[in-house]
Amino acid sequence: MTTRDTTQQAAGDPVHVQLPSAAATRALGEALAAELRAGDLVLLVGDLGAGKTTLTQGLGAALGVRGQVASPTFVIAREHPSTVGGPALVHVDAYRLGGLAELDALDLDSTLEESVTVVEWGGGLAEALAEDRLEVTLDRARGAEEDSGRRAGLRAVGPRWADVDLAAIVAVVDEGER
Amino acid sequence: MSQPPVQPLVDPSVPPLVLGIESTCDETGVALVRGRELLADVTASSMDEHARYGGIVPEVASRAHLEALLPSLEAALASAEVTLADVDAIAVASGPGLVGSLTVGTAGAKALALGLGVPLYGVNHVVGHAAVDELVHGPFPERFLALVVSGGHSSLLLVRDIATDVVELGQTLDDAAGEAFDKVGRLLGLPYPGGPHVDRLAREGDPTAIPFPRGLSKGRELLRHPYDFSFSGLKTSVARYLEAREASGEPFSRADVAASFSEAVADVLVTKTLRACEEHGADTLVVGGGFSANSRLRELAAERCAQAGVELRIPPIRYCTDNGAMIAALGSAVVRAGLPSSPLDLAVDSQMSLSVPVVLPPAE
Repeated sequence: MTTRDTTQQAAGDPVHVQLPSAAATRALGEALAAELRAGDLVLLVGDLGAGKTTLTQGLGAALGVRGQVASPTFVIAREHPSTVGGPALVHVDAYRLGGLAELDALDLDSTLEESVTVVEWGGGLAEALAEDRLEVTLDRARGAEEDSGRRAGLRAVGPRWADVDLAAIVAVVDEGER
Repeated sequence: MSQPPVQPLVDPSVPPLVLGIESTCDETGVALVRGRELLADVTASSMDEHARYGGIVPEVASRAHLEALLPSLEAALASAEVTLADVDAIAVASGPGLVGSLTVGTAGAKALALGLGVPLYGVNHVVGHAAVDELVHGPFPERFLALVVSGGHSSLLLVRDIATDVVELGQTLDDAAGEAFDKVGRLLGLPYPGGPHVDRLAREGDPTAIPFPRGLSKGRELLRHPYDFSFSGLKTSVARYLEAREASGEPFSRADVAASFSEAVADVLVTKTLRACEEHGADTLVVGGGFSANSRLRELAAERCAQAGVELRIPPIRYCTDNGAMIAALGSAVVRAGLPSSPLDLAVDSQMSLSVPVVLPPAE
């Protein structure tokens, strides 16, 4: 794996959307999938229970990949081949990885080009995998016992995303909620 | 490699000696089984090395398997007082699991099969968790349910023949039961792996104190997923409960949280499993996998199986965690069924379907 200077990349302003239900979180994953192609890297940031795996389930369903998209915590990385001739989904949980050497040991760069790579807990580490990436931040309201939904923030980094309208992606989710 | 599959052994008078190799995750297991008799079972674990990461690290696991495989093999042969020349067949868990870990065991198994000129069987790790019970409690009935629960799996299997007819009725859609315990352990500030710690704390608490949700157990979700499990929402409910108490400063009992959470997990697992027993006319339930060590699951399963007239078979804990005996046991069942051996170019399959007990040669 080569590490690159990530300081020079263009990062757009984040776009936000409310996700009142797990179905909305899944719908955001589906809407993202429509924009994704082989080689793309998506970083998911958010606490336990923020909806990272739920979003990836929607994304995997829309990509048409094989196997149950479940939490990758135990196995760290799980590859789901496409059933429709599209890119595979590589679903990673970086929570326990201690640093770049351990991320490197997963050999993600060997599958990066022909897959869509989704990394949970990847903030601060997985940026080294690619110059271009989509960062999705999921926030859950804390301190209240009842479920008051989530808020997602999308932020695109690098030229790959220059022409992608993030607002249009989240608009699909907003529409679905009405 | 293109080599015709070796034909199965046919002499039924002396059951063949099957060597089983397990390396799907962080335990390296080598065992020897003849028929349904366990002759040796050696397990090495890289768990201590993983503890500092709070879980399995694939690279660490692969290296540990490589270092442990030959010493474990030698120890197993010595313990059974046999030599490699006595081995009639090799079974290896070729999936599901971590690719790097699976590769070490499978490569070793192929080398042994080729070198000894004996058949190789790539068998299913999760099905092995059920198969091992034959070594403990004797032959299986004509049909039974198997609940395999661990850090990486929560699956419900309908088994008509452990070697030839296994159907996956359900699985977890998100977190495995053991994984949910580890994560709740983290929320409660307990050390990794959290499962045993949460279990211990739960025994001091009131399981009815907090009505945590039972995933996929009501209405449309139940209809769509009668035998699937979901523990992610439950985990989030525990997080919310703790955060709300933290924010308000209201006192609460950590033991009650652990007990109520454990109750929710055990309740869903046992309720769905017994419903499947009824639906499929099975009067025997085998529970396997590391999470079957959970005390509330054992208690509740025993209580409700007795009520429902279902025979409950749970092997001792050492055969519930990953081991070579389960692989040798399934290998032995496969040989007994007269199935053809797996090809020597057998590929590991990290996502092996649970409805595949053994990898058969490709159809001609």
